[in-house]
Amino acid sequence: MANWSMVIDLDKCVGCQACSLACKAENNVPHGSPYEHKRHHDIFWHKVIAAWEGEYPAVNTQIIPMPCMHCEHPPCVNVCPSKATYKRGDGIVMQNFRRCLGCRYCIVACPYGARSFNFKDQADEEYQRPDLPKDLGLSNEGHIGPWPYPHRTRGVVEKCTYCFHRIDQALEDGEEVGSKLDGHHGVLPACVEACPTEARYFGDLDDPESAVSKLLASRSFIKLREEMLTSPKTIYLPR
Amino acid sequence: MSQAATDKPNSPEPKRSNGFKISRRAFLGVSGGVAAAVLAVVLALKRPKLAEPVETQTDKVVAADDLISTSCLNCPTRCAIQVRRVQTTAGKTKVVKISGNPASTYSEGKCCSRSHVGLQVLYNPDRFQTPLKRVGGTKGRDVNYDADFAPVSWETALQDVASKLTSPEKLLILQGLNTTSNEDLIRQFALAYGTRNLFDEEGLETAADREGKMLADGRSNSGYEMVSEDGISTKYILAFSSGIVESERPLARNLRLWGKIRRELPNKTRVVSFDPRYSVTASRADEWLPINPGSEGALAMAIAHVILSEGLYDTDFVNDHTDGFNDFSTLARTRRFSPESVSGISGVPADTIRRVAREFAQSRPAVAWSGEAATSWPYGTLASHAIYCLNALVGSIDVPGGIVYQQYPDYQPMPTSGLPITETGITFREMADLLRDGAVNAAIGFSSNLIMSVPESREDGRWDELLKNDNFFYVHVGPAKSEMAAYADYILPACTYLEDWGYESAIPGSGYAEVRIKQPVIAPRDESRPTARTVFDLATILGRRDFFLPPSSGISGDSKEFPEEFAAYRTSLFIAWSDFRWSESKKDNTGVWKGSSYSYRNYAFGTPSGKFEFHSSHLEYLLNVGLPGEGTDYPLELAIYRPVLEIRSGSQNFPWAQEMYLVMHGRGWRNLVEINRETAHEHGVGEGDEVVIESPYGEIEGEARVVEGMQPGVVAIATGQGHFASGEFADGMGCNPMDVIGTEYDEESGQPSFFSTRVRIRKA
Amino acid sequence: MQVSFAPVKGNSRNYNILVGVLIGLVAAGVAAWGIAYAYGFRLWGVNNSVTWGQLITVDFFFIGLSAGSLVVSSLVYVFGQEKYKPIGRMAVYMGLLLMMGAMFTVISDLGRPEKCWRLFMYFYLSNMKSMFGINGIFYAGYILLLGTYLVAALSGSKLTKFIAPVAVLWAMLVHMGTGAIVGFIETRHVMYSPMKPIEFVSAAFASGLALVTFLSYLTLRITKRPINKDMFVSLGKLLVVLILILMVLVAVDKLTHFYPPKREAIMFLIAGPWAWIFWLQVILGYFIPLGILCNPWLRKKVGWVIAACAICVVGIFFERAAIIFPGLSQPLEYYPGEIAGIWGARGGFPIMPAETFQTLGIVALLGVLFVLGLKFMDLTPAPDEGEHAEAGPAEQAAPAAEGGQT
Repeated sequence: MANWSMVIDLDKCVGCQACSLACKAENNVPHGSPYEHKRHHDIFWHKVIAAWEGEYPAVNTQIIPMPCMHCEHPPCVNVCPSKATYKRGDGIVMQNFRRCLGCRYCIVACPYGARSFNFKDQADEEYQRPDLPKDLGLSNEGHIGPWPYPHRTRGVVEKCTYCFHRIDQALEDGEEVGSKLDGHHGVLPACVEACPTEARYFGDLDDPESAVSKLLASRSFIKLREEMLTSPKTIYLPR
Repeated sequence: MSQAATDKPNSPEPKRSNGFKISRRAFLGVSGGVAAAVLAVVLALKRPKLAEPVETQTDKVVAADDLISTSCLNCPTRCAIQVRRVQTTAGKTKVVKISGNPASTYSEGKCCSRSHVGLQVLYNPDRFQTPLKRVGGTKGRDVNYDADFAPVSWETALQDVASKLTSPEKLLILQGLNTTSNEDLIRQFALAYGTRNLFDEEGLETAADREGKMLADGRSNSGYEMVSEDGISTKYILAFSSGIVESERPLARNLRLWGKIRRELPNKTRVVSFDPRYSVTASRADEWLPINPGSEGALAMAIAHVILSEGLYDTDFVNDHTDGFNDFSTLARTRRFSPESVSGISGVPADTIRRVAREFAQSRPAVAWSGEAATSWPYGTLASHAIYCLNALVGSIDVPGGIVYQQYPDYQPMPTSGLPITETGITFREMADLLRDGAVNAAIGFSSNLIMSVPESREDGRWDELLKNDNFFYVHVGPAKSEMAAYADYILPACTYLEDWGYESAIPGSGYAEVRIKQPVIAPRDESRPTARTVFDLATILGRRDFFLPPSSGISGDSKEFPEEFAAYRTSLFIAWSDFRWSESKKDNTGVWKGSSYSYRNYAFGTPSGKFEFHSSHLEYLLNVGLPGEGTDYPLELAIYRPVLEIRSGSQNFPWAQEMYLVMHGRGWRNLVEINRETAHEHGVGEGDEVVIESPYGEIEGEARVVEGMQPGVVAIATGQGHFASGEFADGMGCNPMDVIGTEYDEESGQPSFFSTRVRIRKA
Repeated sequence: MQVSFAPVKGNSRNYNILVGVLIGLVAAGVAAWGIAYAYGFRLWGVNNSVTWGQLITVDFFFIGLSAGSLVVSSLVYVFGQEKYKPIGRMAVYMGLLLMMGAMFTVISDLGRPEKCWRLFMYFYLSNMKSMFGINGIFYAGYILLLGTYLVAALSGSKLTKFIAPVAVLWAMLVHMGTGAIVGFIETRHVMYSPMKPIEFVSAAFASGLALVTFLSYLTLRITKRPINKDMFVSLGKLLVVLILILMVLVAVDKLTHFYPPKREAIMFLIAGPWAWIFWLQVILGYFIPLGILCNPWLRKKVGWVIAACAICVVGIFFERAAIIFPGLSQPLEYYPGEIAGIWGARGGFPIMPAETFQTLGIVALLGVLFVLGLKFMDLTPAPDEGEHAEAGPAEQAAPAAEGGQT
């Protein structure tokens, strides 16, 4: 069983937000509106934040893409009463819409603001995705329940899933999953695949030959809010 | 006593004063029983299950799931993309995902963030469904598409339009962002029609930069290679107000190679950014050196001053391949261009200028990269030239990792007429003069975005007045509602780029040629048609179709087939169409053709001398730099910039792009008035305040964003917002800074200057 | 001491108007909930930052009040303090109603309320690491316990001797569990504290006692039942002790978090945009009631005691709000520096009509159930035939002779 991790090189990232957009397209994530933006109702599985420090002219802005951290010790999994969110054997923190009560306790507990609540139903004609769901008997252990599309409903919480559907399909088809340092990558989550600067990597932490393991061995790395001891698996290589 | 009450059995006490003939106990007992029964039923139905079965899909919904290669058109880079199209058993087709095309080495299979928005371009709810004819209403800001226009048939529309286009010299052809193939066709149309009044809107921001480079090398196809095919990379990039990783084309290539030069190759490329704004590029660079707007050219000369004074230039290249070096060197080494002197007008310390100049000259190959903000000035051509000359001084011309000249394949020729239409057509100034003088009274725009992109774009400004005029006949050919369409007399719906046939030539960057197919992923929606077909039909009605039917081209003349046949014919010299396009039997065709590898050091300059020419006349004009923050009437300088999520095709009606529009500021659905903290304080403006930006040409309102990353005295506003006729996801959001920018021209290129307008700010 | 209980007549015009108004509010609340269910929570003030709003605040408040109501009932049924008997049953009934009200609040706050059964029926199969899951067991048991308690109390059964202490202890467990919901969440520094469970129980006792005192006095006054002024004054004295304990707990918790260097959360709470909630908590919940109840002259006056109780209840409401709103609104520090735009902005919370009416509707529901309960159950002490006799028909005399004596 793999231990999936994502490594993001902040030196290569240029804040183009291809990752956020690819995620929206891949996972059929609804767009918001100016009103929802103001009210903080819009749904983002992936966001890119800018943290500013310093004073003119010594200014420093860190641009940090943030998917779900898929923590080793996820606070959201602790607090979900109905086990709608759970950690899979391969480390991916999943979300099962069928079980979700919409109590939003996970949103309260998540240190990274990775989760969004559905404040309304989405217009059917905009979000028809006949290709989803696309699974037939996934063999990956611990997978419970369908994933949320094509018909997401109001009242449930959703978040980044490390594109588990791509990973599971690849494993079913016998394809490789994960980044390679030589550029001949296996199947990747949409954000990793979309990154034009190749700032993002995905792979198995438990495999010492994987790109992610090698990167983490060759450069200093940071995790967000490390003091929370969530042990996130989305890890950053600083500039 | 208490026992007596509790020992009593359930005896009904009819004399309860509330008239209920039921005892407490009975009531509670019954309710308890009911509750228990309900509980039992619910428990039975919803009994806890430890492992729920995985849902499987029993009906097969998906009949076909294909990856079609085509190319993007959300910016002039035109990246090769792959588009995932799903067809259901019920016969419904849906385009669901866009990604880069791995076959394109130009960007190593990458596309930028804008490409993903293509889905919303295709499914834009504000697309035109049929040709439309204006039946009333006022043109422009008060447009009401439903009331002002009536649907007409294509025949009617084409006949009407053709009947109005009777005098070629009175017609203006406006070209927004179109495919290479459509650009070729539009030029052909101009030829066929007999007018040279073709204006390419891309020139609005690139003409001066181009001209400055042309002065030096006589070419218009130079690009910054960044990394050669063999992996030789630029070692030093000196960016002059250049948004290399946010707006400079070819963006996707820049982004991919950025990743390479910063972390994948052995020697990390050093990037230094001169910029009045702490742009995304400046924030990613190793150094941000804030400068006064407009001082880029002077800074380039100061750097030349240091390089020449200290003998750090590439003598071989200079001696063998350049002309005019002595005059240039003499001028550059005068005191006026010394770092000390230029420091005063640019705001960069003299020591820094010297250090950067030395670093630049001693890291080979080094590249000086000019940007729109450096060249959209009254002396923009000269600024571009001065910056470009730095590349020559350090021998970066036509070398790996330096400046390369883009190759193009041989396209099959089209019939000509001898009319002198250049690739870029007439200059902005020429066009503005034609309109001002009333020399043209009709225009046809192909995805034109003119009214949003010109200075003085405001309501009741000269452009609005002109286009609003009922005597000015305007035909808009484009896919969706847009501001230019709001001024139209006729609207001919074009299909989007995901529904179109064509070919795209890679723009300068790689050196080697690359051509990408454009093929429909889905059939054109409603009655929209490929622009190629519209051009062909118009030409047919005008009796000029022979311009589009080269002999033995195989083009049948059936206008419905024309778009594909044209593309197939034009590319037939280098690729067979059946090897290029997708088909059921050939799903693996990559849709990308690559030319042979670039050969360096050809030095095929197009100048009179045949060499790289250093021009030194008038360069002293570069010292005319206004200082931001000075002056009492309009103390601030307005800078515009193009964030990466501005979709360059003219419409911004795309909610995904809108909701994350400004990444540095974490805001969406608008632009902001970005101002330095101290300057804001001086003018009584706080973060989030509604402010008015006023120039001698008008005023706009916006929300203030107070930042540290801005040269004091400078106000910056992102373009791409301030729409009024594009649809629900763009209209009424933010402001268009062009509204307050006045008209000044760069002499040599006729390009408008976007940065020389001074403004003042006040709280609304 | 013999106290006989009798239901309220409940056929006066004022009574009917009251019931009518309350039912109207309940109907409005149901309608508001239905609309929000159909259109989604965008009609509420909640958002992805402040993700819990009025309803959860009221939920915590009601659970606390419910637990606290049992304080009074425990005085009667555990400690056998006879002088509180007249209000003992009302206290138990209020406890049950408030708990049911809290459950309505929680259920109607869910995004998918039709799945609420998972909270109460999976028991140990729910996630036992989640305080919501554990509380599901606690709450379900508590309601059953309270139901039994009420029945026993109404029948004057001796079982109350056993049920009452269990109920009180279970109530503490319930409310400590509720406190743990917020106290165990490290992400939200304003909420995070091991004191929260204890603080919640303490706040529950204070506010519950205050509410029972206030509401029972009001009921006895309006229904013209005999009022033992000394009882109310002594309740006031008890309230002083409970408020003092609560103040100590709150002060220790806040001071711990105030100790440098890491004090952003506390500064956000007491000096940030939501500071007014915290200061209302402190002033209305602690200072003013203490000021009244410690004053040697005022504390002997029943009117002032009741006023102090009412103010204390309002203050403790703000104590709950002070945990939810500033707690959730404080922006999360993903990375050092100033995070630009919406990602770094503090959460806002507009007061939206749908949410407000729904909250009011639930409150009104409890009100109407209480008022109707007075009419259909023996909750209030029988009217005196002596000084406090009301001019009622002869029916009033009969129950006093027959049933319902304790």
